[in-house]
Amino acid sequence: MATAVAHASDGHAGDSGHGEHAHYTTTGLEHRKIAIWAFIGSECMLFASLISTYLIYKGRSKVGPMPHEFSCKVSNVVASTADGVAALGCAAADVMKPILDIPVTSQSTFVLLMSSLAMVLALEGVENHGKPGYDRWFKGSKFWLAMTALMGAAFLGYQAYEFTAFVHEGLTIKTNLFGSSFFTLTGFHGAHVSAGVLWLLTLLAIDMKRGLKGKNDVLVVDICALYWHFVDVVWIAIFTLIYLIQ
Amino acid sequence: MATTAAPAPIGTHAGASYGHGEPTGIWSWLTTVDHKRIGTLYLWTALTFFLVGGIEALIMRMQLMGPNGQLVSAEVFNQLFTMHGTTMVFLAIMPLSAAFFNYLIPLQIGARDVAFPRLNAFSYWVYLFGGIFMTVPIFFSAAPNAGWFGYAPLTTMQFSGGLNIDFWVIGLQILGISSLAAAFNFITTIINMRAPGMTLMRMPIFTWMSFVVQFLLILAFPAITVALVFLLFDRFFGTQFYELAAGADPLLWQHLFWVFGHPEVYILILPAFGLASEILPTFSKKPLFGYNVMVYSGIMIGFLGFGVWAHHMFAVGMGATADTIFAMATLLIGIPTGVKIFNWIATMWGGQLRFVTAMKFAVAMVALFTIGGISGVMHASPPTDLQQTDTYFIVAHFHYVLFGGSIMGIMGGIYFYFPKMTGRYLSEKLGSLHFWFFFIGMNVTFFPMHYSGMLGMPRRIYTYDAGQGWDQFNWWSTIGTILMFVGAIFFIINFFKSRKAGAIAPNDAWGAGTLEWSIPSPPPDYNFAQLPVVTSRYPLWDLKHPEMTADIAHSAPDEMTITDSHAVPMHEETEYKTAKELGIPMPFPTIKPLFAALFLVVMFSGLIFIHVGMFALAMTITIGGAALFVGTLYGWLTSPLE
Amino acid sequence: MKRTPRRRLASALVVAAAGLTLAACGQEYPNSTFLHNSEINTDIIALWDRILFMGTLVFIVVEALLIFTIFRFRAKPGAPMPKQVHGNHTLEIVWTLIPVLILIPIAVPTVKTIFKTQAPAVSDALQVEVYGHQWWWEFRYPEYGVTTANELYLPAGRTVNFTLRTVDVIHSFWAPGLAGKRDLISNKTNHMWYTPDAKLVESAFNGFCTEYCGESHANMRFRVFTTTPENFESWAAHQNGPAALSPGAMAAQAAADSATVRAVSRASVVPAPAPAPAPTMNAGYVFPADKLPAHTVPKTPIPARITFDDNLLAQGDASRGHDLMTNLANLGKAPCMTCHVIRGEMALITDAQATGPSLTHFGSRHTFGGGLFPTNASNLARWVKNAQIMKPGTTMNTFGIGEYSPLMKGNVTAGLSDAEIADIVAYLLSLK
Repeated sequence: MATAVAHASDGHAGDSGHGEHAHYTTTGLEHRKIAIWAFIGSECMLFASLISTYLIYKGRSKVGPMPHEFSCKVSNVVASTADGVAALGCAAADVMKPILDIPVTSQSTFVLLMSSLAMVLALEGVENHGKPGYDRWFKGSKFWLAMTALMGAAFLGYQAYEFTAFVHEGLTIKTNLFGSSFFTLTGFHGAHVSAGVLWLLTLLAIDMKRGLKGKNDVLVVDICALYWHFVDVVWIAIFTLIYLIQ
Repeated sequence: MATTAAPAPIGTHAGASYGHGEPTGIWSWLTTVDHKRIGTLYLWTALTFFLVGGIEALIMRMQLMGPNGQLVSAEVFNQLFTMHGTTMVFLAIMPLSAAFFNYLIPLQIGARDVAFPRLNAFSYWVYLFGGIFMTVPIFFSAAPNAGWFGYAPLTTMQFSGGLNIDFWVIGLQILGISSLAAAFNFITTIINMRAPGMTLMRMPIFTWMSFVVQFLLILAFPAITVALVFLLFDRFFGTQFYELAAGADPLLWQHLFWVFGHPEVYILILPAFGLASEILPTFSKKPLFGYNVMVYSGIMIGFLGFGVWAHHMFAVGMGATADTIFAMATLLIGIPTGVKIFNWIATMWGGQLRFVTAMKFAVAMVALFTIGGISGVMHASPPTDLQQTDTYFIVAHFHYVLFGGSIMGIMGGIYFYFPKMTGRYLSEKLGSLHFWFFFIGMNVTFFPMHYSGMLGMPRRIYTYDAGQGWDQFNWWSTIGTILMFVGAIFFIINFFKSRKAGAIAPNDAWGAGTLEWSIPSPPPDYNFAQLPVVTSRYPLWDLKHPEMTADIAHSAPDEMTITDSHAVPMHEETEYKTAKELGIPMPFPTIKPLFAALFLVVMFSGLIFIHVGMFALAMTITIGGAALFVGTLYGWLTSPLE
Repeated sequence: MKRTPRRRLASALVVAAAGLTLAACGQEYPNSTFLHNSEINTDIIALWDRILFMGTLVFIVVEALLIFTIFRFRAKPGAPMPKQVHGNHTLEIVWTLIPVLILIPIAVPTVKTIFKTQAPAVSDALQVEVYGHQWWWEFRYPEYGVTTANELYLPAGRTVNFTLRTVDVIHSFWAPGLAGKRDLISNKTNHMWYTPDAKLVESAFNGFCTEYCGESHANMRFRVFTTTPENFESWAAHQNGPAALSPGAMAAQAAADSATVRAVSRASVVPAPAPAPAPTMNAGYVFPADKLPAHTVPKTPIPARITFDDNLLAQGDASRGHDLMTNLANLGKAPCMTCHVIRGEMALITDAQATGPSLTHFGSRHTFGGGLFPTNASNLARWVKNAQIMKPGTTMNTFGIGEYSPLMKGNVTAGLSDAEIADIVAYLLSLK
């Protein structure tokens, strides 16, 4: 009986060790496939709550830095007192520099989007394992799993760079409402990406060791792919709502 | 009667009668992955917490029996009402429902276990350790003290510097993990493990209502998780989410909390609706009236439950438009709820009603929930709500819903399913005493609260002055609580006595129509030696009383594509063989879920030490706990299930 | 107003279903929400009557059906199997429509009342600012320059527009006998208005905090006194004036005070204005103590732990008390003015900075401590000695020398002797 992480499941079904008397399921789908969809549904609510919080708190910060270009007119300051303006560190005529760097984040967004493509190709590699044409390195699952993980890691690198830059500009998770909600939201997303990268690397390790093939392995990679695409889609939402819309 | 084939269950230690050659020692309970045993563990634990929450309520009622009571201090009282609410919601009613989810869903849909048995064990252990983590501080007067709703900014470090809120925020976070893990499990189980022929519209109503509840859980819990993460970060890592000086909006907490909090109400009540919908037809000797409408109204209630959260916030000044929208949405919920009540009555109409204890509880649930529903409409209207919210009128309302509805339904469920779980009936005589003390006690306690509330008594006050016109109502409420306590004592006696000495129950203890009654009581670990092929909503009546189901739609077994070689036409199982003899692969018992849960709780609880100034220790415990958790998880995931 | 037959039926049902509620209109239930004391509450009661009528109807029909079913269809031995009915579409449609028909007559007036009661207040309304504190109420009348605590005076027949804010956690402002409640939300300003009925020329109501706000949430109470517009003007004019120590004592103090103030003015202390002019002997209106209804007189037990020889109180001297409280030299043992404001006296803090209630006209209030105790020398002496014991969690510290202070978790060393407390009590009570 295989004991690899590959059958990292708790389900009765889909255990290759049981061969022909695979368990009956009502839908014909594997348990794990249904569970991951339920999980993604739940995660949607998690990110919806985080994003809503960010949007509710947008513009409520009493001190800078601010996410977008910010005119220091008194009417813009929540406290609308002279104190408030002074705390922002600008005179009433100034325009504050936006802290969000859209060009750089566009690059990282592009990298993450491309990683989804790589994930699709990785799954295709596992599904077609051993079929003619799929023995070439750039068609195989190993290459594309590695590429997906690499692009995920690159995205995390961009995020680390962004966070560091923000801290240098005086924005930490403790600075203001923008800092708290921004770092918590993107931090949660980053944690999801990190978990995904670890997951991908585990799959890659198994692939290197014994090759990912067969029905169960396809399922395992499929589930990981679903998760990865979800994390990707969430980022599209974050990028649009937090970075692009001012 | 088919009692001849059922041998007397062997009473054993560890709290259940497992007489089918399965191990019974304490180790077998710690390592069990059997949904029935996990259900039993949930039941015992939740009943214990129910008692704890009840004692908290009794102390509060003693304090409030007369004006200017001096029994406990303000601080202790505040901890008591916080823990009473938190305990009853998260540690008693939800897990009591979970006990039934665990025990019944696989049996009702004709499955041998849940989809992820080890995850199921993990959910239970997380609940147990999380519950202990939250409850223990009350013995040191350090229990949470900001109400079960924990409104910011009262819960921030600025206003609650002690450890009290830390226990609450961490404890709830832990319990959320338990509920979510269980919900993923049951959703998968119900979607994917139904016996051949068990279409969605043939599922027993309890399973249906549970199904709706699981969706409410996975969609509602993330909101409170986020709210709690913010509070946790604020308290431990200096974020500003609820910091007034930073310009925070305290309504953020309220919105996130009630987006969870209102679906939570349906999470608490729908399983009880499901149980009543099993009990009423059985003791009316009639099928459930309007099965389809019962299903649709349950789904409607769950759906609308997400659109009404702000009716808890009519006093915060949201503006006339928002008040109107949420008021209208709230009134809408009255429609599917009303339909359910009429359908229950129609189920009994024209039947042959047998008033065993389970039936009494179920009928009482219908009667009492109606009262809670009516008072609910009274504060669905924002103008009248402004005279009602945060008064004892609200306390009366939701206790009619949660005690009159949930607890009465669940108690009915316990009397109904105890024979299935143990092979023995609970005593009807003690059960009747239990019922009447609960029924009368609950009305004596909560009905006067309608008056004390409308006569101006605010909620959550540890004392009130003399001469306010509330004395007699409070006196009665306390008397009622004592009556309920007497009822609880009858229940405890009954529960322990009947486990060992109750009358022996056959497979089909009450003449019900669903699958769980076709297998031995208590069921063998594999549940079904051969998976039944279901052709209608009441498979067991099909078998035993075909005349009862003659006029509903059936499918012939050969119309279905049966891919499972284990499936056979509907039958009643009387044989006792071990899983091994039958060649049924069973999941291995494992201790890993227990340790994974333990390390998870250790990981969270390490944070507490940050606030007693031991940062290094906190980090050691948290990181150590996390490492052990991940290690255990890896061991768990790499070991084969069966 | 003509009452339609249906309304009469509603009233009859109200009586039948809630007999006690009717009694609630009487003095026996002084905090009843069913008192027609403001137009807002009249609207609320009208809506409540309608919902109660509908609710009672539903209750009677459902429970009667249920009880009938229970008795009529009880199993009889040897009875045949009942007819198996799986449902009935017509019936189910009917009883889906029944709740709709019941809810529409609730929904329509609900929406009307929401928009009516939440419309902006009339422009000539009396402005009152309510500030919630853990755990007492501050009331400001910006048009009159009055700041007071725990006792709200309202002119009968005039609309009051409340502006509701909190300085700390969320509270909720509720005088059940007058109207519904509204929360005081941190970082948010709320509004509410109502018009106390013109007939309420000498009425007193209890008010409560109804949003859980911490340890002494139950002890955060207030009183509402309604009076004639003339009396209200008299009250407000008087409350607007500075503290009023008796003229003799004032003269004795004046010299010492001005010296002290000059000495400390360098230490960035706001200099006190010139000593107030002698108070007019004709003090402003105060709700007559002998007309206070019983329910507005607190009966909170005084903890036996605080001992005080009441005979000392007769020897209390207001001018000595004045010196103790307002002389910087005594700040160490009586730091009263670091939290409280007494207008016309040494001002260490502004009104907005005050964490304790304004004491300017303390002696004119009937209660103190968040409406917890009747204002009298005996209670006040114990309060000054050890307020911590009298009101859990209060930030008012323990001042009696040798007393245990739960706040400081130790015994007070630099505090006040009982004789000094008696002086302070005499001074506070003189602040009419």
